[in-house]
Amino acid sequence: MTSKIFRSIFATSLVVLLATLAIITTFLYDYFTNIQINQLKDELSIASVGTEQSGKEYLEDLKSDNFRLTWVDSDGTVLFDSQADKATMDNHLDREEIAEAFETGKGSSSRHSATLTEKTLYEAALLADGTVLRISVNRLSGLTLLLGMMTPVIIVIIIAVIISAVLAHKMSKRIIEPLNKLDLDNPTENDAYEEIAPLLRRIHKQNMKIERKAAELNRRKDEFELITKNMREGLVLLDKNRNILTINSAATIILGTDEKCVGNEFLTINRRHEITSAIEKALTDGHAEIRVKLVEKEYQFDISRIETDGETVGAVILVFDITEQADAERLRREFTANVSHELKTPLQTITGSAELMENGLVKQEDMPRFVSHIREEATRLVTLVEDIIRLSQLDEQTELPKENVSLYEIANEACGVLRDSADKKDIALTVSGDGGNICGVKHLLFEVIYNLCDNGIKYTPDGGKVEVNIAETEKDVTLTVSDNGIGIAPQHHARIFERFYRVDKSHSKKSGGTGLGLSIVKHSVQYHGGKISIQSEENEGTVITVFLPKDE
Amino acid sequence: MRSRFDEQLNILNTEMIEMGALCEEAIALASKALTTGDVALAENVSVISADIDHKERDIEARCMKLLLQQQPVARDLRQISAALKMITDMERIGDQAEDIAEIITYLEGRTAEETVHIRDMAAETISMVTDSVDAYVKKDTELAKAVIVHDDKVDEYFDRIKGSLIKMIAETPENGEYALDLLMIAKYFERIGDHATNIAEWVIFSVTGEHKNS
Repeated sequence: MTSKIFRSIFATSLVVLLATLAIITTFLYDYFTNIQINQLKDELSIASVGTEQSGKEYLEDLKSDNFRLTWVDSDGTVLFDSQADKATMDNHLDREEIAEAFETGKGSSSRHSATLTEKTLYEAALLADGTVLRISVNRLSGLTLLLGMMTPVIIVIIIAVIISAVLAHKMSKRIIEPLNKLDLDNPTENDAYEEIAPLLRRIHKQNMKIERKAAELNRRKDEFELITKNMREGLVLLDKNRNILTINSAATIILGTDEKCVGNEFLTINRRHEITSAIEKALTDGHAEIRVKLVEKEYQFDISRIETDGETVGAVILVFDITEQADAERLRREFTANVSHELKTPLQTITGSAELMENGLVKQEDMPRFVSHIREEATRLVTLVEDIIRLSQLDEQTELPKENVSLYEIANEACGVLRDSADKKDIALTVSGDGGNICGVKHLLFEVIYNLCDNGIKYTPDGGKVEVNIAETEKDVTLTVSDNGIGIAPQHHARIFERFYRVDKSHSKKSGGTGLGLSIVKHSVQYHGGKISIQSEENEGTVITVFLPKDE
Repeated sequence: MRSRFDEQLNILNTEMIEMGALCEEAIALASKALTTGDVALAENVSVISADIDHKERDIEARCMKLLLQQQPVARDLRQISAALKMITDMERIGDQAEDIAEIITYLEGRTAEETVHIRDMAAETISMVTDSVDAYVKKDTELAKAVIVHDDKVDEYFDRIKGSLIKMIAETPENGEYALDLLMIAKYFERIGDHATNIAEWVIFSVTGEHKNS
């Protein structure tokens, strides 16, 4: 601002100065030239008269430093010159003013000297005897005049610069100060220049607009953060250079990082090749899906490209925890495989035996054995199907009627049914404890005790014992079934409640059973909101404890 | 100018992480092949190893270009020179993973027996490599120091494995060749541990400007 003002002031003063100088010089120069020419003419007419009367003597007497007189003969030879030797001077006939004088009686001209520093004015007149008298005077040329004035002009220019600078500084300060003091946060409350009032009003409007927009943006950002923060799925937004723009808390937990990673590349928080190549694929193809195992859990990554106007601006990554789903899938697959296998085995025995009989390949005396085979296997099938139906009922979680029952009574009942098979193996089956009154579904509780005792008897060698104990605490009823049988190694504990899981992988039919018993137990106990715990080592017997809550 | 330089440094950083990830993948794959005896897996290692070599050349060229064109000083210079040293170690890790994979193909489907603690050693080594790359990513000197300390554990495993292999040869001389192969594998893992230590030392250098061996 200051320099601009300085430039304007300086330029103005300079232009004014130079223009004045030029005009004045031109005027004065012309004016003085005219005066000089008139003077010359006067002198010439006097000298002409003198020369005509007294000739050369007059001229020689008339010595003057102010001007130079030259007398030229009609053939151009110089007859006299007041300042130079006439012998050295050449023929003057071709001089402009002299030629003019010979022709018209009077002549005048002006010529610059070779160096342009001087200008000579000439006036000539034709005398009565046919000769010409010329008078001339030297004077400085306009240029020399100007050069001579250079020093004062430069001094004036320097003074102009200084004055301009000082003025510019002061002026700009005066102009700028109110502008600098403007309060742009409250533009309408200023009373600076009238001229900028519209600008201030505009700024005020813009301020309001920006405030509104900012509030709106903040609200949206809060909303977005609230939503993403409470999401169970991980959410990561990337720009097109794979830098993290947003990451929600679920994603930070899943990927084992913190909020500080925002702004860094995704690679810095996870560099698993599967994930990075999936991001790459999403950025080129639009979408990618992968399943990755991270720290014991299985996650599904859904990655989609974000586009605006057909241009890729980034990608959004959604991370789902699919551990349970994957487990459930595995269980279902195993169950389907197992159930078909379990159903097929007895059917194959039945069809095999029946075919043999049909073709008459069975001797009459073997017939009863074959028939009993078929019956046994058919019974097995029936039990299996019954178990599956029971389990699927439990899976459906249909409401079953609950009543007040005594576990002790149910235990006695179940043991009564199993007494025969226990006796066959010479196993002592005892029920101890008392009461155990809870509100539950009788046949489910019966299944629990029956299956646990049945397993106890099956996996206990001859002469062993199976004990059932019912006890009550303040909150639950505890049912303990213990045996001194072959036990279960700890690594199987977690899986024995799965459908068709067998500790003995050979699926030996020796012990019978469908492989669904404990699964039914688990589901029945879960139905009552209870818990099961197992304590067992290989060859050291098994203790299974069921906790059933009293009040429901 | 500076922003362009920063951008270039960022790209270098990304490439280093990518190379580190490739190393992790190579050694993880080699170790998986060792536990499952899957020869096909072992053959994949050489593909990754080739990728690692390629990456090394890329990073080397980038570092040279940065050094020549930007003439970095102080921290930037440290980062680039450390990167130049680290890629050599990473490349060696890739090569050794490939060597392990090659030996696995000679084992003809035999896996490392559980009595020999070679699997545990492999797991330890993998975690060392992962930690050293993590330390680089996070510029975490504490983690880098932990990696250096961790190397003793891997060395210890090597001695233990050597002992049990000597016993194996003494008891079942027909297993001699197998035992020697396992010893080679164990040695390679031990070397990988050393390279991870080197990487960790360079991480410390690039952050603090002090190198252990200087």
